[in-house]
Amino acid sequence: MGGILLRFKDCFSIRIFGIIGGFILFLRAAPAHAHLVTTGLGPVYDGISHLALTPEDLVPTLAVALLAGLGGARYGRMTLFAVPAAWLIGGLAGLVLTTAVNPYLTTVSFLVLGGLVAADLDLSPRVMITLISIFGLFHGYLNGSVMAQANLGFLGLVGITATVFVMIALVAGFVVSLKAKWMRIAVRVAGSWIAAMGILLLGWAVKGG
Amino acid sequence: MKRSVIWLILLVLFSASPAVAHESRPGYLEFTEISPHRYDILWKQPARGEMILKMDPVLPESCTQAGRKRKEMTPGALMTRATVDCEGGLRGKTVRIAGLEAILTDVMVRVYHEDGSEETHLLRSTSTSVTISGSSAGERAASYLRLGIQHILMGVDHLLFVLGLLLIVQNRWMLLKTITSFTLAHSITLAIATLGYASAPLPPLNAAIALSILFLGPEIVRTWRGETSFTIRHPWIVAFAFGLLHGFGFATGLTAMGLPGKEIPLALLLFNVGVELGQIGFVILVLLLERSFRNLEILWPRWVQALPGYTVGTLGAFWTIQRTAILLGMLGW
Repeated sequence: MGGILLRFKDCFSIRIFGIIGGFILFLRAAPAHAHLVTTGLGPVYDGISHLALTPEDLVPTLAVALLAGLGGARYGRMTLFAVPAAWLIGGLAGLVLTTAVNPYLTTVSFLVLGGLVAADLDLSPRVMITLISIFGLFHGYLNGSVMAQANLGFLGLVGITATVFVMIALVAGFVVSLKAKWMRIAVRVAGSWIAAMGILLLGWAVKGG
Repeated sequence: MKRSVIWLILLVLFSASPAVAHESRPGYLEFTEISPHRYDILWKQPARGEMILKMDPVLPESCTQAGRKRKEMTPGALMTRATVDCEGGLRGKTVRIAGLEAILTDVMVRVYHEDGSEETHLLRSTSTSVTISGSSAGERAASYLRLGIQHILMGVDHLLFVLGLLLIVQNRWMLLKTITSFTLAHSITLAIATLGYASAPLPPLNAAIALSILFLGPEIVRTWRGETSFTIRHPWIVAFAFGLLHGFGFATGLTAMGLPGKEIPLALLLFNVGVELGQIGFVILVLLLERSFRNLEILWPRWVQALPGYTVGTLGAFWTIQRTAILLGMLGW
């Protein structure tokens, strides 16, 4: 029995390492696809436009706001301040380190956040804060590293962070106000679509699209 | 709550534009084909005092200067006139504005062809060149609309004034009246100034606009204290009065280009629509944010609530002093 368990554990470990290894290969730093938009109105507006026109950041931010809204006003407040703060910190790190990260890594945000919204799970505050902090740090880092290459710098990051703040406030505030059950279901459906987008993107990434 | 929303927006606003408002006056480059392949050029380079924005048109290599350049310094712009011969004409050729990539302003390029057709292009720091081909009326309209939106987005002082009004108004009906009267007032003076019936010199105008913001500071404090005043009771009248001033400010975005007579109505209409779109978008954003913060049950500390009012007053005071000093010649641009 113990041997079977051991073999199962070994086998499980090998699989896990295999999956992690494959994932690392997939995530290996690739040249960042700079989706930077220059509006001609200065770096802050460039930052705002960047988020608004980059689905890889925009859709997961929408998902995190939906998730926060489903969790209620407390989770909404937590997300409203934690995500922009983490985004800014991650962005500053990205500006300094400038190491490119494979942008397809953002599909993880689509899958995880979209999945959680669809499932409407009751997450503990600790899990929630960990999740949203990782999300903010990661996307912030991605933005920061791209901004460093484009010489947009800190002000561009301020524009992005402000937009993230505004977007979470508007979406989470709206979802919190929803009282009808069917509306909550509609939000969960939106989460499932986001997860589906993540699967599509992952497929493209694996296929080399 | 409303004050907290506005405080957050202020943070973005003031990091958005380090430039003093109205510095986004566009340049203007005009080609008029006077005979086949020969063009009169007018180049208006935005300037204030001795300071001229460093940008220059780069013409196609096939163009050679005929005659000498004439330069004339006018209030607000350095005007350069020249005549050039362009082998094969300008169609299909590219005109570039060197230095524009480093400047937060636009340059309107207009070409009058000998066959009576004309075209207009808006160049910006991100698109510093254009290939002359013949722009449609739709493209020209879009240029004016975009210019209006840009003007309000870059005009931090106009937005700050609107924010100040939002802090004072007590209910939705009053908000509607106030914003409508501000819109009406600045539309009137924008039209008057663009049509050339009246004009306001830029330095005193800028100082007066700053003063209008400063004026709102104490009124905001009175609102907090539960006191009343003429402005608090009738903010729409104050909005109308100061809106007349702000309209002259908006007009600088259009008049600096020296629009051709027959295009003025279209330009005026679409530029104003652009300004209104930007302004309405801004007001809606503030109101939606306020509602969202209420839904999320956020209790802001008292100092956060007080900050927007003080920011409006402080910046109003700063700009008033700065622009008055410029007006008196104590400070350069």
